[in-house]
Amino acid sequence: MERFPVGIIILIIVSILIYLGLAQRALDRMRLSDRGALVVIAAIILGSFINIPLPFLPFTTSVNVGGALVPVGLAVYLLKRAGTAREWARALGGAVLTAVVVYVVGSLINTGTTIEPAGRYAFIDAIYLYPLVGGIVAYLIGRSRRAAFIAATLGVLLVDVFHYFWLLNQGAPQNYAVAVGGAGAFDTIVLAGIFAILLAELVGESLERLAGGPRAEGRPLELLKALKKPELNRPGEQGEGSTGRDRNNVDEKKAGELGEQE
Amino acid sequence: MVSRSRLRNRFWFLGGVLAVLAGAALLIALWPYSGQQPAPAAAELSENSSPDHLVGSFSTIVDEQGEVLSMMARTVFAGDELYTCEGRIYRIENVEGDRAEAKFVGMDPQIVAYQEFYAEQSVPVSTAELAQQGKGSLAVYHTHTDESYVPSDGKESIPFKGGIYQVGKAMVDKLKGKGAQVHYDETPHDPHDNNAYTRSRRTAVNLLKNKPAAIFDVHRDGVPDPNYYRATIDGQNVARLRLVVGRENPGMSANMDFARRMMTAANNLHGNVVKEIFVGKGDYNQDLMPTALLIEAGTHTNTKEEAARGIAMFTEALPTVLGLSAAPVAPAAPATPEEPGAGRAAGRGPWKALGWILGVTIIGGLAFLLVSSGSWENFKRRLTGFGSELTSFMGPGKILRKVFRKQGDTNNPEANAILREEKDDLTKD
Repeated sequence: MERFPVGIIILIIVSILIYLGLAQRALDRMRLSDRGALVVIAAIILGSFINIPLPFLPFTTSVNVGGALVPVGLAVYLLKRAGTAREWARALGGAVLTAVVVYVVGSLINTGTTIEPAGRYAFIDAIYLYPLVGGIVAYLIGRSRRAAFIAATLGVLLVDVFHYFWLLNQGAPQNYAVAVGGAGAFDTIVLAGIFAILLAELVGESLERLAGGPRAEGRPLELLKALKKPELNRPGEQGEGSTGRDRNNVDEKKAGELGEQE
Repeated sequence: MVSRSRLRNRFWFLGGVLAVLAGAALLIALWPYSGQQPAPAAAELSENSSPDHLVGSFSTIVDEQGEVLSMMARTVFAGDELYTCEGRIYRIENVEGDRAEAKFVGMDPQIVAYQEFYAEQSVPVSTAELAQQGKGSLAVYHTHTDESYVPSDGKESIPFKGGIYQVGKAMVDKLKGKGAQVHYDETPHDPHDNNAYTRSRRTAVNLLKNKPAAIFDVHRDGVPDPNYYRATIDGQNVARLRLVVGRENPGMSANMDFARRMMTAANNLHGNVVKEIFVGKGDYNQDLMPTALLIEAGTHTNTKEEAARGIAMFTEALPTVLGLSAAPVAPAAPATPEEPGAGRAAGRGPWKALGWILGVTIIGGLAFLLVSSGSWENFKRRLTGFGSELTSFMGPGKILRKVFRKQGDTNNPEANAILREEKDDLTKD
């Protein structure tokens, strides 16, 4: 690194720190403790250096631990903890919808062999397209940070799966390298998950603030009770179905006003 | 609250829509040649035979007097910028269809400073010095690996093995021939779509593990007129280049600084071999490194050889730019002048990028805090609490735990709840 001026070195270090810090804050806002989020970030960083080859699959296929296994594992864990079938369906539906939208926008609309950077409507880079779509879809379907994370990470993975089918169909050469999550901590899978959470949070919070908080009339009594009471998570009572709300990050003031955000 | 049956209906309806969409997408994905438009014959290049793919369609950027400034096979947007090889900055103001009108903003002081600096360097620094000093390597890859040159390859696109590889190889050979260490990743990222950048991101990160001094993504443009890029430089027919910097990269100023230096250094060695720098929407994986650059080597109607010669000329400027200007030069050469803007400006790009990133983080963080606090009082309360958060990540928990331990009740759910609540107050948002 000695060839870089100080400015560039500081830029690289600060960018990485801010990115990881943001990632930690984002993960922290799901059902993870501060320390849990740190452990996940550490696993992503360390796992970035580990590529597991999958020789039994066609092409030169490999999967990266930090860029794919850890975030996807976390998404599956969150799904498992989701509890109700409805939450499951919302998160998985969000993932499928994200994948379809991203595939249609990124691969079918924005294509063309003499159009740079591939596509007439490529006004947004692919690395931002995934979290944007994931965040919006998840907000519309589930109004949930976790659903946003799941939709974005599994969505990117699904796009990789679509792409795999495309390669098989096109008879791509065997040396075609498919490195799922190959960019590790900087892979689109991780980026998409983190920015989708932040987006869902920002959009969700802003909209609900603008709307003056959740409606109280006509809501079930238990929900209203939960909204008003700053009761924190108790093991076994974190069901998503009835109240369906992650209270982990909600303080007293917010609890009264937030409602649907998770 | 919507009734349970209505919810169920809505759920099944949504599920059905998703299933249909997923099925349709898979069908399209599996459809032969779906993502890959079959390459048209050269005669068809200017025809808009397929509106979806807009073969031969391109944007023309004109100045306020209607003079053509640039042509490029990409959609341009208001706010995009063009830096000509003379250092003139134009900002696009209006876009109507394929015609964009740009306003002259002024001369770029840094490009002008670099021009003066590099003009005084009569002897280019050899690449061998780079290798001898062990000052890292260089990395080259292609995001659109099908890109080809019609006169040489017969097609504009050859899936998985386009003619662009030979152009990349010309760059690599030039560097290797001078003793530099080059990591050339030939991983294909087909099809030619926008998602190719997420696939090539993986290749780029892999290349970064070799700690290169700079990383280049080599492309070609798609404007139909080969004469737009064609030129005779130093007695050779070459296709000139365009450097592209993505403005959706938070550290864009640093990459822009590198692009400025590359353009002026290369143009100083080989008369304006770089036509221009275009700053457009996109990231192009340039966020990964301040010295990441996208090069467009000619267009698909140039010959591959023209493009290869053009990029080889550009490559010769690399060692000069990559911090070797301070290295001892040949005895006959004049003493290396102090970099006028270079010394300062080389630092200015990254610092500016740093300022942007920090500024956006702080303003974004405050805005988010304001939104999530709901009220000005809450905002102030949380803001003042932020300082203690930094110092008390573990602190308050420990203190409170001590209090409850004194009371002999560490498993009291109420006590734990208070602990959590206190911690939430201090560490959230």
